Amino acid sequence: MEDADIGWLVTAAADGDKAAWQALVRRFAGLIWSITRAYRLSAADAADVSQTTWLRLAEHIGKINNPDRVGAWLATAARRECLQNIRANARIVPTDDITWFDDTATGDDPTEGAVLHAEREREDAQRAKALWAAVARLPLRCRELIRILMASPPPSYAEVAAALDLPVGSIGPTRARCLQRLRGELG
Amino acid sequence: MDCGPDDELAEELRQSAAQLDPVPPELLQTAADAFSWRDIDSELAEMVFDSLLDSDEATLVRSSMDRRLVSFKTPELSIDVEVTSTGSGRDVMGQIVPPQRATVQVRHREGMATTDADELGRFRCGPLRAGPMSLRLIPAAGGPQPAVVTDWVSI
Repeated sequence: MEDADIGWLVTAAADGDKAAWQALVRRFAGLIWSITRAYRLSAADAADVSQTTWLRLAEHIGKINNPDRVGAWLATAARRECLQNIRANARIVPTDDITWFDDTATGDDPTEGAVLHAEREREDAQRAKALWAAVARLPLRCRELIRILMASPPPSYAEVAAALDLPVGSIGPTRARCLQRLRGELG
Repeated sequence: MDCGPDDELAEELRQSAAQLDPVPPELLQTAADAFSWRDIDSELAEMVFDSLLDSDEATLVRSSMDRRLVSFKTPELSIDVEVTSTGSGRDVMGQIVPPQRATVQVRHREGMATTDADELGRFRCGPLRAGPMSLRLIPAAGGPQPAVVTDWVSI
């Protein structure tokens, strides 16, 4: 989606267009979820952060300075909510309860005729898990960046920069370095 | 983004996240529902201070973590709110400046609670369930000001 289209959606939503709001949700819900996971929030805390971020956009949508860049606005709001959430929970020992690698999710039960398909899916799932496990072995900065880059649809560098409070210019080189390290982990 | 092996790996990562850690459907639902909470007739009081974000770590450690101060502002008034944790619930105490009577609607996850600010502008409400909260102030009849809604804040 082009920036100008996103800007148009923001303007339409500000005028009360519910479908435009839905389109914004489809475009950016994945980014916000990825940001909460990059900051290692539990699913319940992530739900709070996400809901608060969208409620906040709803009140601000008529006053966004740069509607084309609402993604960066959302990323900044979500980051602040995450930090606030982390500080509010500061007395609780942080755990890595985000399942970077969850071994319990199997449960394949291929029916006849779908065996080949299931085999293929199992290989894909294994490859995905191996990748996930390799990411978990990277330094924190790389894990955070990569988790945000994992958002669907892919976020812009401006959005990633806003999510991590880093200069936009640093995102490309850091991404290259982190993916390089990931390749090393994958062997 | 440029093409190449990095983009292929990034795409593979994206697919693995979609498979292993997908966006929970209820997040999409609450995001969609957020639009219906919009209040375009009221003036927005933006959050200008949050003790959780705007205090340095040392201050945070010294002050009780169970007590959080949040301030909202419009050009005409400010609303200072103190949030205390009572287990899983949250108590909200507020002060409108300049002091004035008003009806205060506390919008939160389970709907809306209504309370009154006294002639000194003080109000309280709780316990509320933890989660997003926003206040709507309706000035007492005859007041010169329009209704005010605050930014949403997760308490």
